Amino acid sequence: MTTIAFPTLISRPTSYTGLWSWIGTVDHKRIGTLYGVTAFLYFLVGGVEALILRAQLAQAESDLISPELFNELFTMHGTTMVFLVVMPMSAAFFNWMIPLMIGARDVAFPRLNAFSYWTFLFGSIFLNLSFFLGGAPDAGWFGYANLTGNTYSPGDGVTFWALGLTTLGVASLAAAFNFVVTILNMRAPGMGLMKMPVFVWMSLVTSILIALAMPIIAVALIQLALDRVWDTNFFNPAAGGDPVLWQHLFWLFGHPEVYILILPAMGIVSETLPVFSKKPLFGYPAVVLAGAIIGFMGWFVWSHHMFTVGLGPAANAAFAVSTMLIAVPTGVKIFNWIATTWGGKLQLNTSMLFSLGFIAMFIIGGLSGVSHASPPTDAQQQDTYYIVAHFHYVLFGGAIFGLFAGGYYWWPKMTGKKLGEALGQWHFWVMLVGFNLTFGPMHWLGLNGMPRRIATYADGMGWEMSNAIASAGSMLIAFGVLLFIINIIRTISSTQESEDDPWDARTLEWSIPSPPPAYNFARIPQVKSLDDFWYTKHPDLLHDERGEEIEVGEPVENDTHGGGSIHLPGMSYYPFITSLGVTIGVAGFMDILVEVPGTNIQFPWLSAVGIVIGLWGLMGWTFEPVSEEGGH
Amino acid sequence: MNLRRLLRPLRSRFLFLIPVAPALLVACNKEDAQSTFGTSGPIANTQADLFIFIFWIAVAVFVLVEGALIYSIVKFRRRGSDDSLPDQTHGNNKLEVIWTIIPVLILIAIAVPTVKIIYDQDGWPTDQGPVLEVKVRAHQWWWEIEYPGEDVVTANEIRIPVGQWVNFSMHSDDVIHSFWVPKLAGKMDIVPGDVRELAMKADEAGFYFGQCAEFCGEAHAKMRFRVKAEEPAAFQDWLASMRRPPVELASTDAIDGQKIFATNCATCHSVNTWQAPAARNERTRLAGLRETFLLDQDLADEDRVNLIAAPNLTHFATRETLGAGLIDLTQENLEQWIADPDAVKEGNRMKDLAAPYRDGTLTPGDVRQLAAYLLELEPVAAGTATVTPGPDTPLKRGEATFAANCSGCHSTGDDIVFGPGLAGISNRGEEAYIRESIEDPGAFVVPDFSNAMPGNFGTLFSIEEIDELIVYLKSL
Repeated sequence: MTTIAFPTLISRPTSYTGLWSWIGTVDHKRIGTLYGVTAFLYFLVGGVEALILRAQLAQAESDLISPELFNELFTMHGTTMVFLVVMPMSAAFFNWMIPLMIGARDVAFPRLNAFSYWTFLFGSIFLNLSFFLGGAPDAGWFGYANLTGNTYSPGDGVTFWALGLTTLGVASLAAAFNFVVTILNMRAPGMGLMKMPVFVWMSLVTSILIALAMPIIAVALIQLALDRVWDTNFFNPAAGGDPVLWQHLFWLFGHPEVYILILPAMGIVSETLPVFSKKPLFGYPAVVLAGAIIGFMGWFVWSHHMFTVGLGPAANAAFAVSTMLIAVPTGVKIFNWIATTWGGKLQLNTSMLFSLGFIAMFIIGGLSGVSHASPPTDAQQQDTYYIVAHFHYVLFGGAIFGLFAGGYYWWPKMTGKKLGEALGQWHFWVMLVGFNLTFGPMHWLGLNGMPRRIATYADGMGWEMSNAIASAGSMLIAFGVLLFIINIIRTISSTQESEDDPWDARTLEWSIPSPPPAYNFARIPQVKSLDDFWYTKHPDLLHDERGEEIEVGEPVENDTHGGGSIHLPGMSYYPFITSLGVTIGVAGFMDILVEVPGTNIQFPWLSAVGIVIGLWGLMGWTFEPVSEEGGH
Repeated sequence: MNLRRLLRPLRSRFLFLIPVAPALLVACNKEDAQSTFGTSGPIANTQADLFIFIFWIAVAVFVLVEGALIYSIVKFRRRGSDDSLPDQTHGNNKLEVIWTIIPVLILIAIAVPTVKIIYDQDGWPTDQGPVLEVKVRAHQWWWEIEYPGEDVVTANEIRIPVGQWVNFSMHSDDVIHSFWVPKLAGKMDIVPGDVRELAMKADEAGFYFGQCAEFCGEAHAKMRFRVKAEEPAAFQDWLASMRRPPVELASTDAIDGQKIFATNCATCHSVNTWQAPAARNERTRLAGLRETFLLDQDLADEDRVNLIAAPNLTHFATRETLGAGLIDLTQENLEQWIADPDAVKEGNRMKDLAAPYRDGTLTPGDVRQLAAYLLELEPVAAGTATVTPGPDTPLKRGEATFAANCSGCHSTGDDIVFGPGLAGISNRGEEAYIRESIEDPGAFVVPDFSNAMPGNFGTLFSIEEIDELIVYLKSL
């Protein structure tokens, strides 16, 4: 094989340990770990932000923090939890599990995968730098125009927000394309789409949603950045711009985003419930179809976030009906999950408890959702704590509980050790009680007229008790997270190793050693049915209840894959360098433009630096061979 | 200690915490000021009824589905070390069709009344008498209120008659706000550059709490207001009283306070809209004030945003609250507000804008006198009003135009208020100079003054009004 000579200034990493090996890694498992660790650290950051908010709201007329700081914190809490916690934590599981569950040795584009992570990391750091560079964004995670314009948000915070989220969007898009191609092209022989694990299905739907939704918010964010940096008027009503345009663009992205956040968790519990019930998933085709329908219908409900904007009765009626319709496939999933447990032998370990907790909490969030799918009742509930309660039941009781279920379930797969079960159960119960104490009373607060996003409230409104309970509950949640951290530390320092397949699980990732070797599968498996691995272990079950025979596959011999040896992509620094270039390039549009001498052109010099770095990274990326010769 | 054994009885017990949330809802206190229950108007009543209808359906679904889940967990949990496999059911098409159709039927039951009410609540019924128009203009972070056709302007406290439909037609001068009086109606966002309408009716007299519901910046939490619904006769009396002159100031504090007010506050706050021309011009005046600052390209963004219009204070003492529905209007609270507005409402614009705060010239004595003055701002009793002779000469009409439009910034003496004093203006130039200075203030700016005068007087006033104004100015 001849390689084109490119004057690379750096040689690729050679060692498989140490800091440089992490920076140069293209292994989907290590990238998954990076995503997971980063997202968990941001979970702590977003959590501390929430605790400060709750401390401020614990009592009426409180002036613990200034309204300015309050606004920064609730903006960053929402932004962090959505973009820096739930999305990357889902990406961590996608990275770790999709190749393992479909019997592949890596994702389709390993270096693009590394690029996604580094761009996410740099974008998130850039966003949070705003705290130290003149003030964090303070216009809400939803950034409603025209409050985000220069006139009403004169500092740099909102520019940090717009540019930071643009960078994160690049990371999400790259990852989404990677997962779609991986799932569609790299499944083990015989694994038809309807033989894929539900988690992989939900990852596919999520990735398609990301690929379609991110460009919409990117357009809106770039318009916002232009309004702020170059004084355009997309959203400025004083110059004929339209602030409602922002809302349409934001929610046309924002509602699919809700499903981007919840579908991965739905995929996780669709794996854990059958495993810990010792039964197949009830109605696999219905669960898959319901997920796909949710992903499709999620595009036709965005204006239910805008029922009080004054779009008129026709729009409100249409979006009310479409929103109610989307409750149907969601209900189907819940019924199928309950039916999965029905008649099983439920092993109530921590992962299963979080999965069941997910269902129990998600039902509440779904029901409160139906109540404000109706515009006349939403007119009272919109922008109140009732909405805050609703989406925390869906995204905390739902998404976060689901991610914890996945964490406990896959921990032995990823590390070779089980998380402590006793501490895990404490973690779950403390969390469940804390969660309900925090967000349960918020339903009542909203119905009792307490608006969202208020830095303080007057005495005598009847909100004191519920707020005090909610703040106390938030401390309990924090204690639950602390138990989880202790559990992690104890598990890491313990020497007790887990078996390769400790749960008697159903999917391919459990057919290989835990933790998996770098190449994942010594021999690529062949799949003939859903849950192929389970039936390999239980040959007595090869006839289903209808008497139909279930087939299982034999692993494919390696020589059919060419060469008889396993090909793995070589490590590379270039994704890291390209990400650095992209982030600096975007960050350069901050208010640090220099005027070109003799003209009135404002030149973003830092962007030029970023573009040069990015081009260098791309050149190296292009000309670097996929792997060193003989480096198999 | 065996944790699993310890926790086992807790499992089922804790799950029963979940129904506590709806139980809290049922045990609500309808009397709370912003409760969406215990409503007193047809719009809010219907919205609450629809919610209760959906709520009970949700409770039924909740009990059934969570019940099934908990039953399954308790009944099918693995006991001991039983390692045998349960029946391997893959699905049941009939069952799955049933639990797809049942939610559809339930949602249809919710969708039908929903759509009907959406259309019912669009606008107001035309068979229930005339509708009262009230104009609302939202500002960061207060509410400008106007009764079109009535020559009445006020702020932050809206009076409406009981039993009559009221249509709020709403604008915003800056960012998006949301108008919400929970006891009377659900909210409606107010989008700058557009008009939003929200009709409602109060069935009972009351002092209803309202609050901005759309995040609108630093002091969003303190952008509150009140709606006072009173019997129609009392409402008409109030409208009439808002057109009567104020009582004569009684205390010396108030008289001194008036002077402080004229020099420091009158540029932004008007107290004279009991006069019809001033009331009619209030909107233009506030817009002009705002435009002047917003379009001043020499100002930085940070400063520009701070320079805005301010609430009307005509007959201020008749109000019950202060600072946009924040605190009761008492001498003590008012003094606290004037002395340190940020302590009451952090982020408010007065602290940054008004010269006495920027220059730190306001003494405790000034504060006391200003409060005394404002608390004496109330209309004379009905019938006792000395009827001011109508402006029937060009001079009188010019004087009235001046009082309503110019006196906030210009004194008729030599002293400087905001703009130059105008005594002896006729000695400073020809009539053409005065006319030009009104129509195009930038043409000649008196040295040491910046051109802060609204540029729209040329189009705002008719030719006759400008002629009359000049007649009056030449008499000074």
